[in-house]
Amino acid sequence: MATPDLLDPKSAVHNSKPRLSFSIQPVVLYTPEDECDTRTTVMRWKTVSAIFFLVVLYLIIGATVFRVLEQPHESSQKLAILAEKLDFLAMHACVNSSELEDLVKQVVSAVRAGVNPSGNASNQTSLWDISSSFFFAGTVITTIGFGNISPHTEGGRIFCIIYALLGIPLFGFLLAGVGDQLGTIFGKGIAKVEKMIVKWKVSQTKIRVISTLIFILFGCLIFVALPVIIFKHIEGWSTLESIYFVVITLTTIGFGDFVAGEKGGSENPEFLNYYKPVVWFWILVGLAYFAAVLSMIGDWFRVISKKTKEEVGEFRAHAAEWTANVSAEFKETRRRLSVDIYDKFQRAASIKRKLSSELGINQEMTPGKRSLSTTLCEDREAYPNLTLSLSPVTGTLSRNGSLYLNGLSPDYADRREIAIIEHFN
Amino acid sequence: MHSVGRSWLLLTGFILFYVIYLLFGALLFSSIERPVEDKLRNEIEALKREFLNQSCVNDASLEHFLVKVMTANKYGVSVLRNSSATSNWDLASSMFFANTLVTTVGYGHTTPLSDTGKAFSILYALIGVPFTMLVLTACVQRIMYPLVLAPVCLLQRSGLEPRPATVVHFLLLMVLMLLCLFVAPAAVFSTVELSWSFLDGFYFCFISLCTIGLGDFVPGTQPGQVYRPLYQVAVIVYLFVGLMMMFLLLRTFHKMADLHGLTSFLQLPRCEESDLGDRERIVEGANADQAASYLTEKEASKPLEPGSQPSYNTINTS
Repeated sequence: MATPDLLDPKSAVHNSKPRLSFSIQPVVLYTPEDECDTRTTVMRWKTVSAIFFLVVLYLIIGATVFRVLEQPHESSQKLAILAEKLDFLAMHACVNSSELEDLVKQVVSAVRAGVNPSGNASNQTSLWDISSSFFFAGTVITTIGFGNISPHTEGGRIFCIIYALLGIPLFGFLLAGVGDQLGTIFGKGIAKVEKMIVKWKVSQTKIRVISTLIFILFGCLIFVALPVIIFKHIEGWSTLESIYFVVITLTTIGFGDFVAGEKGGSENPEFLNYYKPVVWFWILVGLAYFAAVLSMIGDWFRVISKKTKEEVGEFRAHAAEWTANVSAEFKETRRRLSVDIYDKFQRAASIKRKLSSELGINQEMTPGKRSLSTTLCEDREAYPNLTLSLSPVTGTLSRNGSLYLNGLSPDYADRREIAIIEHFN
Repeated sequence: MHSVGRSWLLLTGFILFYVIYLLFGALLFSSIERPVEDKLRNEIEALKREFLNQSCVNDASLEHFLVKVMTANKYGVSVLRNSSATSNWDLASSMFFANTLVTTVGYGHTTPLSDTGKAFSILYALIGVPFTMLVLTACVQRIMYPLVLAPVCLLQRSGLEPRPATVVHFLLLMVLMLLCLFVAPAAVFSTVELSWSFLDGFYFCFISLCTIGLGDFVPGTQPGQVYRPLYQVAVIVYLFVGLMMMFLLLRTFHKMADLHGLTSFLQLPRCEESDLGDRERIVEGANADQAASYLTEKEASKPLEPGSQPSYNTINTS
């Protein structure tokens, strides 16, 4: 099935939507009769290793493209910052290089710890106040893991591990439930739309395709386009950066270079208090949506791989069948030919003996092929049934591809015998 | 409908519990981390003041300089003396980055700087994430037999009942994985990375294999790392294998939960399609008389995940 089964409202109620299965064609490893028997097919290993090599190839391609795109930028950034440093050192002659290095090192490690050294201490909001900690806990449980905040104490880290161990399954429950409800709502809507479309007498597959498209469009509108506009307005990012943030967050990659709600709360703390929970809620529902989208893409991959396998399998089956047919027919022809040729030899020999005995010729004529062919030709009128019996067979052979006849290896048939057949034709 | 109402109730219950859990975590994190943060902030303030006092630099130009440094640092560009040689975007590092993108770990120690890079990341992730999940699922299905089904068979043959056999096997598997995937690599990382302790290494392994990927610890980013490309490729391999094992563990747990009736107990909606799931049963069907009713019930249906998935996109992969 190329699309998730969101169309059936009955199944949407008690159904595992969004469809998040990526399992490939299941292999029944054993049946109750054979206990613990190994029944894995050879094809599976090949498929898996093929896919594995594909992934490695995909990674290598990605790596090369990223390198080509990013390295020049990185070099220019490096040059810029080095120039800044040199400028600074030149402008302020009393600072020596090593002192500056020290300061920069401290600043960098402070930044990594989440402390912002620029600005005064007074108007700084802590990174670990309640709403930010809430947000951090949320990023851990959803496995997004932005990383702009991270625990730095040993106790914090140990607690983080335990917290995640319990929280991630909990979130899995929640996500499944939310996805289910989402699927129900969507399924009901789609059922109504379907009722309208059915009046137009469109085929089932088209309905499926249309519903998938509607699903993607609607979802993108609500969970991607709307947040992008909001983020652009509030965070001041560009369109591309907003889309980038949305995708990176909702696939749970979560780099952390862009994080919503990071801007200082000095302007309007109350507003920020509402903004962050709304962002969290959006992440929750958006995750369910993205899970559905990604599972759809996974389904397509699965269908493509299955179809390719089927097609390859079909093609192979056809080729095998065709080869088997042809070789069977060919063997039959060969058998018949050899019988006929033997017959002809016998008759030619007998005729020759008769003639020679009548004419008194005592030569030993080896029945060369050419003389045989001439004899056979002469005998054609005498033995019309022979040609009749031969031609249907050769007819079928030529139907299956006369080049097959010509391209045969000599151990299947004598070429000259073939020439006889063609001559007959 | 009763079932719809019930599922809404369950959902609300879950959301409430989730919010409470988050609040609890927030409180605890806040109380643990905030004092340390304050201390660090004070230290850096003191350092700045000291620097300003003994030199001719004024506040504004220092601020300006620091902002520039921090922006560069955000993108992984360091201004320190000894880090100018290695790039963050040579082939091995780019591959490492692509790998973090595709497995959804997403450390964030290097992020695309250019607009084209960001656009390409979006596309790459949208295609690569389901692709990787597919590969991992396929591999897990393949190794399910020698690692799970055969040992359970063995345990059953040696006299255990089917259900305890699965529990014993699951516990053994967990312990084995803890040793091989967490403890051993943590030890390796803490030796290779000079500034990491054992706890840091363990923390890194856990955060990576759950695909959280905070990014505070990333192997191979220290300046002067020997054999850096090889090391990064080794980490990529470790991530893959580790993720695969986590999936395997979850699938085993799910099958075990099925067998013990946990999924029906939690009364989550089920999926009636039988073409998706694999029909491997974790125990022999012939011997499991008392569990036979469960098995026949559950064989045709593929229940919705009752949980214990580390990431959203592994739901229903078993």
